[in-house]
Amino acid sequence: MRTRRIVLGLAVAGAALALPFAGFASAAERQLSTASEECIKNVEAKDDPAACQTAPKPILPAKNEIVWGALSFIILFGVLGKFGYPAIKSMMDARTERIRNDLDGADRARSEAEGVLADYQRQLAEARTEATRIIEEARQQADQVRRDLTARAEAEAAELRQRNADQIAGERDRVLGELRTQVGVLAIELAGKVVESNLDQETNQRLIESYIDSVGSGTR
Amino acid sequence: MLVLIHLLAVQDSGELLKGLTAVGRGIVYGGAAIGPGIGIGLVVGNAITAMSRQPESAGMVRTTMFLGIAFTEALALFGFVLAFIISG
Amino acid sequence: MLLASLEVPPINHLIRWPAFWFKDNAYFAVNKVVLLMWIAVLMVSAFYLIGGRQKKLVPSGLQGLAESAVDFVREGIILQTMGSEGLWWTPLMLTMFSFIFALNIFEVIPIAQMPVNARMAVPLLLALMVWVLYNAVGIKHQGLFGYFKNIMFPPGVPVALYVLVTPIELVSTIIVRPLSLSVRLFANMLAGHLILVTFAVMTSALLGAGVFAVLSPLTFLLLVGLTGFEVLVAFLQAFIFTILTGVYIGGALHPEH
Repeated sequence: MRTRRIVLGLAVAGAALALPFAGFASAAERQLSTASEECIKNVEAKDDPAACQTAPKPILPAKNEIVWGALSFIILFGVLGKFGYPAIKSMMDARTERIRNDLDGADRARSEAEGVLADYQRQLAEARTEATRIIEEARQQADQVRRDLTARAEAEAAELRQRNADQIAGERDRVLGELRTQVGVLAIELAGKVVESNLDQETNQRLIESYIDSVGSGTR
Repeated sequence: MLVLIHLLAVQDSGELLKGLTAVGRGIVYGGAAIGPGIGIGLVVGNAITAMSRQPESAGMVRTTMFLGIAFTEALALFGFVLAFIISG
Repeated sequence: MLLASLEVPPINHLIRWPAFWFKDNAYFAVNKVVLLMWIAVLMVSAFYLIGGRQKKLVPSGLQGLAESAVDFVREGIILQTMGSEGLWWTPLMLTMFSFIFALNIFEVIPIAQMPVNARMAVPLLLALMVWVLYNAVGIKHQGLFGYFKNIMFPPGVPVALYVLVTPIELVSTIIVRPLSLSVRLFANMLAGHLILVTFAVMTSALLGAGVFAVLSPLTFLLLVGLTGFEVLVAFLQAFIFTILTGVYIGGALHPEH
């Protein structure tokens, strides 16, 4: 496909190049013949061989060419100024307009999008601060709860300790009282058995209690 | 040279005229081409310098360069046309 | 022997064409050059009309070419020389550019092979038109007195130099401008045409010159290269003619520059 295209291009180029050559050669030939005709005419008209050489200067414009050139230019100017240029210009202007509109639309869309984005960002920031606030609150609450719990636990512990201590003290007092009574009873029984009936029960008991009192106050 | 011309003039004034016309044409065009040749060289050379120094203004420089070439070249073309106007 | 076979035809025989219609009418005789003008008008009109009729958003083909031509004339020529208020002149400048280019490009188009601008008629006509236009614009915008004052006594020149500047400027603006404008176009195209003819004739002569025929490819290749060069010249001359028109009219619009 590609080589075929290249060959075709070369053939067209060759033909195009060969044509000017042929054209120029034939043009030169034809011109020579018309020139000799003109030469003969000049010589006949002026009866002078040198007239053959005095052709009009190439710098001088020919009348017919001026007339036709002016007509051509005016016609072309009319056609282009009336139809050709306005059509192309309107098309280009329309395209410019359209591109400008598109750009404006894109601008608008972008600013809108930017607004939306700013909104979202604001909302996000709000949500973030809210979340932070909530977390902070929760932390504070947790702290509070912890502190409360700790305090309560400590209070309970203290109370428990106190109760224990009271209980222990009560127990001890009770035990001590019981002990005291039993010791008294035992001592009396023991003393009763030892002494046997020289003293009555009541007097013995008083003696013992007074003794124990003196001992208890001394040990306490 | 003068002797040669004199000799030729004695022989055939028409041929002499033709020959001198041809010589004159050559001199006219050759002379007219010297200055513009140098001038166009200067214009284009400086335009290239300007373009390579400031490639961003190459478009403007190119337009001005063509204008300068056109003005300079006109002198050579006057010589070219004058060479055709001269006739024996 | 080689030189003898090389017979370059005289210049008058290369650019003067005999009339074939209305032969006896001096003003309306039609020869090849006039025929080429007609073809140029038809081709250019068709180019812009067809290019303007397609209304594709993304231009391609003829439309793209026509649009880029309009764009070139507007951006590359008018805005560079006359500023944005010169856009009013676009139709004229576009016509001028297209017309000159079409007439020039016939130089390398097979069968035609004759730059119409190698005849003095069209360049002279257009140069005269430009001359009338820029003088009229100058007088209209600056007043008769102001226009000639600006031409003869350009501001910013030391007074002592007016002795030198005034006659030069006057002659340059009134006489040399139209002359150089027309002669530049005419002489460029004539010279190009002559060069092409010379090399074509030389190739032809070498082909028939026995052993020297081996040299003919050389001249033929030169002919091919020069044909390409002439395409460039055809475009460049149309561009220069139009941009100089812009410079002259722009100068008449804004005298300071």
